[in-house]
Amino acid sequence: MNVVAFLGGRAWIWSFIATALVWLATVAFTGGTGGGQILTAALSFAIFTVIVGIGQMFVITTGPGNVDLSIPATMALSGAVTTKLMDTQNEMIALGVVVALGIGIGVGLGNYLLIRLLRIPPIIATLSASFLVQSTAIAYGRGLRIKPPPLLADFTTAQVAGVPVLAACGIVFTVVMGVVLARTLYGRSVLAVGQNMRAAWLAGINVERTRLFTYVLSAMLAGLAGLLLSGFSGGSSLNMGEEYLLASIAVVVIGGTSVAGGRANVPGIWGAALFLYLLVTMLNTFGASAGLRLILTGLIIIAVITLAGGGEQQKR
Amino acid sequence: MRKKTWLLTFAAMGVALGLGSVAAVPANADTADKKIALSNNYAGNSWRQAMLKSWEKVTGQAVADGIVAEASAFTTSENQVTEQAAQIQNLILQGYDAIVVNAASPDALNGAVKQACDAGIVVVSFDGIVTEPCAWRIAVDFKKMGAIQLDYLAEKIPDGGNVLEIRGLAGVFVDDEIHAGIQEGVAKHSQFKIVGSVHGDWAQEVAQKAVAGILPSLPEVKAVVTQGGDGYGAAQAFKAAGRPTPLIIMGNRQDELAWWKEQKDANGYETMSVSIAPGVSTLAFWVAQQILDGQEVPKDLVVPFLQINQGDLEKSLETTEKGGVANVEYSLDDAKAVIAGK
Repeated sequence: MNVVAFLGGRAWIWSFIATALVWLATVAFTGGTGGGQILTAALSFAIFTVIVGIGQMFVITTGPGNVDLSIPATMALSGAVTTKLMDTQNEMIALGVVVALGIGIGVGLGNYLLIRLLRIPPIIATLSASFLVQSTAIAYGRGLRIKPPPLLADFTTAQVAGVPVLAACGIVFTVVMGVVLARTLYGRSVLAVGQNMRAAWLAGINVERTRLFTYVLSAMLAGLAGLLLSGFSGGSSLNMGEEYLLASIAVVVIGGTSVAGGRANVPGIWGAALFLYLLVTMLNTFGASAGLRLILTGLIIIAVITLAGGGEQQKR
Repeated sequence: MRKKTWLLTFAAMGVALGLGSVAAVPANADTADKKIALSNNYAGNSWRQAMLKSWEKVTGQAVADGIVAEASAFTTSENQVTEQAAQIQNLILQGYDAIVVNAASPDALNGAVKQACDAGIVVVSFDGIVTEPCAWRIAVDFKKMGAIQLDYLAEKIPDGGNVLEIRGLAGVFVDDEIHAGIQEGVAKHSQFKIVGSVHGDWAQEVAQKAVAGILPSLPEVKAVVTQGGDGYGAAQAFKAAGRPTPLIIMGNRQDELAWWKEQKDANGYETMSVSIAPGVSTLAFWVAQQILDGQEVPKDLVVPFLQINQGDLEKSLETTEKGGVANVEYSLDDAKAVIAGK
């Protein structure tokens, strides 16, 4: 039974193999210098993709058509509101975290209500919600960049023996989310709903509550990521979430989670996030032009997904 | 009966035309009843926010003073060519006399711009300019903005050394131009060598991420050339990697200037900062007003960029609002000077 479970979830191995290859290629090119520092940098930045990627993974796992496009806007709003609220004071960090999560709850509820009450497809609902949220962020912050409280900045940039503290916390968090997905009622409901919504409903699962929780979870993680990222990069900006829209979906897919829903892959998120970062680093190190870099990124992602998804297609 | 109506209409039109031409005779024709619109494609960063704020401030005063009847700003929600083309078509239907446009693309909006021209509307493009010949262009010499960075480096570090280049958004005309200028500068000052080049997308977070990635593989970096909006991120990446801070050219953002001031006070750090003032939108406004006024205005105007040197740092930092961009707003007289080519 355990062997079957292991084989069923083996898709994540591919993203880690790809990560290792890309890292080796980079280090070979530089003649062995900076290998450790490159990994440190990769961990420091991958953690933000991982946080929003986990939220996105839960959403995508609840079934075809479910996706959260409001992540970048939620990050921008959370960053703008919390840095202004904390106003560089260490005592306010706890309140900042509460507000960041609160913004997430608000956005998540909004998303779900649009989907449920107005029966708008999730892709449209979360996209239109993101316009509202982004406009609020613009109106609220006007691009104001306030420094984070020193304690938050120190925490988000701290390293112990080359390992970023935030990334270490992220690994613990990932394990917790893995257990939530595999062992709790909520996690199993997510998987069941994703596999077949009607069957899950007939089996007595509260489908709508599961979807509600999932959208709220995704938005809460986006809010948290916005707060942490503004601590990490010395303040928030309106466009700081922009690149996390595609990245959050890409890490889910490359990590081996089924786009059709019902099958999630938690460790794969880490492999994919590290892979995406190291891939850009490798091509930058090689001195590839922007055009070539984008083409290669596209081709390599296709290759990894084909390899990772190969087993699944044969089964069907 | 019908004939009479026609005659009356013609008579009325004749009177209206007559009055119009009488009013247009003096050199300073009345633009008090003219409506000018700003068509803007993006608002999601501090530069664009400052640009819109300057527009609001200067045109608000112009409307209050009765120089023009209306000067509204319209921004599209997504940075999309199709959306902006539709927006310009709406502005044509709404009967604006002039449209000032910061375009999402130099050529993809040409169709909509031509429609506006054909409808007798004055179109003035700035920053993101359009190539349609009937429109006016207020362009920045982006190439020079790249080249002078190397001139400055040659002066500060005569022995030369390794340089890291941070580029903007790939595929955008501005990025190519500044990059070409930097290449020119490196050719001229051959003691400098570009050892790495990353795209920072004019955003601090993106620049920080890209620089942190390439830094471990680079030898000692003496200087960083930038495009604006990326200098602070680069500084953060150097700090996180535990490397000595090189000479980083800044891009007039308040966070960059504040960081520069901090370093200057701590260890006498020296650099310079260069970018376009977001207030160039107000120059475009006055140019449109002058054209409506019947003045001869050349189709291609060049606006100087705003450079901050070591000596001006404190003053610039004081006048730049927190989270904003160092700015210059243009008056009617400034606009006249630019039009006259001074």
